[in-house]
Amino acid sequence: MLNAIKPSKKTIFFYLLIPVALFVFTVFVPLVTALVYSFFEWKGGPQKTFTGLANYITLFKDGTFWQSFGHNIYLVIACLIGQVGIAFVLVMMVNSKLVKFKTMHRTFGFFPSTIAAVCIGLIWNMIYHNKYGLINWFLTAIGRKDLCQVWLSNSDLVMLLVSIPLIWQFIGYYMVIILSAVSSIDTEIFESASIDGANGVQTALHITLPLIKNTMLVCMTLCIAGNMKAFDNIYVMTKGGPGTSSMVMAMYGYNVSFGQSNMGYGSCISVAIFVLSLLVIGGSQALVKYITREKEA
Amino acid sequence: MEKKKSNKAGRYVSGFLMNFVLIVFSLSCIFPIIWMFYSSFKEKRAFNADIIGLPTEPTLKNYQRILTNPDYHLPESMWNSARTTIISILLIVVFSFIVGYILARVRFKFNRALYAMFLMGMLIPIHSLLVPIYVVFNKCGLSNRWFTLLLPYISFALPMGIFLVEGYVKGIPISLEEAAAIDGSSFSYTLWHIIFPICKPILVTVAIIQVFSCWNEFSFALVLIKDVALQTVPLALTQFKGQFASDYPKQMTAMLITMAPIIVLYFAFSKQIIKGMVSGAVKG
Repeated sequence: MLNAIKPSKKTIFFYLLIPVALFVFTVFVPLVTALVYSFFEWKGGPQKTFTGLANYITLFKDGTFWQSFGHNIYLVIACLIGQVGIAFVLVMMVNSKLVKFKTMHRTFGFFPSTIAAVCIGLIWNMIYHNKYGLINWFLTAIGRKDLCQVWLSNSDLVMLLVSIPLIWQFIGYYMVIILSAVSSIDTEIFESASIDGANGVQTALHITLPLIKNTMLVCMTLCIAGNMKAFDNIYVMTKGGPGTSSMVMAMYGYNVSFGQSNMGYGSCISVAIFVLSLLVIGGSQALVKYITREKEA
Repeated sequence: MEKKKSNKAGRYVSGFLMNFVLIVFSLSCIFPIIWMFYSSFKEKRAFNADIIGLPTEPTLKNYQRILTNPDYHLPESMWNSARTTIISILLIVVFSFIVGYILARVRFKFNRALYAMFLMGMLIPIHSLLVPIYVVFNKCGLSNRWFTLLLPYISFALPMGIFLVEGYVKGIPISLEEAAAIDGSSFSYTLWHIIFPICKPILVTVAIIQVFSCWNEFSFALVLIKDVALQTVPLALTQFKGQFASDYPKQMTAMLITMAPIIVLYFAFSKQIIKGMVSGAVKG
C-alpha cells in the first residue's frame, strides 16, 4: 500500500459509515440484546424480571430443545451423506467418457437449489399428501395400496421424510461445485491411472478424492452450516410436528418466542443456537483437519 | 481375449447404468416443475380425479382467479419481493465494492479491526438472530415497513461480498491507481471510474448469488413483516397453503407465477449463474 491511495480520513469515514453502521446494527446489536434478555423473564410485555441464569437452567433440562438439537445433527449427517456423498458419486459418473448430455445434467441438477425452500417444501407436501400425493398414487398404481399412509404424520418416519427434500434440493448444487474441482485436475493423471489398470472406483477413491480434498471440505462446511439453520422447509412441511418429532432448533426458538411469546426464554434459546452452531461447525472442521493431517503424516 | 470381451460388455452395461441413473436424477429435478405446469391448467375436480394425467380440458381459470382476486395479494407480494430484491442487490453491490476496496487498499487505523469484524460476521450463524432481530427492530419501530427487510438482507450479504471484492482487488496491479494519482485523479474518481469497471465481473457474481437468496428468503420476512400488504412472495405462498389446503392446482399456479422470474432468469443465464454461485461458494 502506498501514498498514491491516501484519501483523507473524512473520505474514508464517509464511505464506510453506512455499511459498517448497518452491519453492526443488524448483526451485533441483536446478538448483544439476545444475550442481555436471556437473563430476564420476559413475556413480550413491558414487564421484565431479572432471573439470572434461570433461563439457562431451564434450557439444560428442556428435553424438547435437546431433541431439536439432535434433529439438527440428524439433518447434518443425513445431508452430508445424501448431498455431498451422492453428489460425489454422480460427479464420478458425469465425468465418465460414456456419459452423454453432461451440460443438461448440470443445468437441470442445479435448478432446484435456486428455488425457494418454501416452494420446495410446498411441492414435497404435495408429493407426500395422503390423498393427492404422488407417492400414494405410485403405491396404488403398483398395487401396494396397503402401504399408503399419511406420510408426514408418521412420527417415526418424519425426520427421514423432511430430509429427503433437503437432500434432493442440493445434490445438484454440490455436484456442480465438485465437478468444477474435478475438471481442474490434469487429465493425464486419469490416463496414467487407467493405463495402470485402476478401475473407476479405485480412481475415484485413491486419485480424485485426495486431489479435491479442499473442495470437499468446503462442501462439508457449507452443508453443516446449512443444516444447522434448517427452518423454512420444516416450517412449511410439518411446523416441527407431529408433536415435536421433527422439531429443529430454529423452529423451537420461533415457537417459544412467537407462539408462547416467551421472549426471555426465546432469547436464551437464540444464544444457545448461536453457541451450538458455532461449536458444531468449528468442531467438525477441527475434526476433519485432524483426521486428514494424520493421514498425510 | 475372453477377458477383453467381457470388459467391453461390462463397459456397455456400466455406461448404460450411469446414463440411466443420471437421466433419472436430472428428470427428478425438473419433474415437479413440469407436473405443476400442466396441472395448473386443470381445475380442482379434474386434478383430484387424476393427479398425474395431462389436462383434458385445459383452462386458464386458476391464473385468472389468482391474479385478479385482490384477497390473494399475489401481484402485490411479487412487487414487494421485486422491490426488496432490486434495492438490496444494488446496495449490496455498492457497499461490498466500497468496503472491499478500502479494506484491500487503504491503510488506516481500523482496517484490520473492520476486516476481523466482517470475518466474524461470516462465521456468525445468522439464524440465531431470528428472535433478537425481531426484538431490536420492534423496539426501534423498524419492523413492518416497506424498507424493513432491506436491512437484514443487505447486511447478511455484506461479509461474503466484501471478501469476494477484497480478494479480487488484491489481484489488480496497484500501478493502475498510481498512474491515476499521478494524472491528478482523486480517490473517489479512481474508485468509481477506474476500479469499478475492472471489478464488474466479481460484482456480477455477488449480485447473482444474492438475487436468489433475497427473492427466496423466508424466515426473516416471517418474523419482521406482519402486514399482508408488505409481505414477500414466500410469505404469500405459506398463506396460500392455508387457504387452499385442498386446491392443489391453485397452489401450483401461485407457486409457478412466483417462480417464473427465477425460472426465466435461470434458464436464460444458467451458465453464468452456475459459475457465479460456485465461485462464490468456494471462495466465500
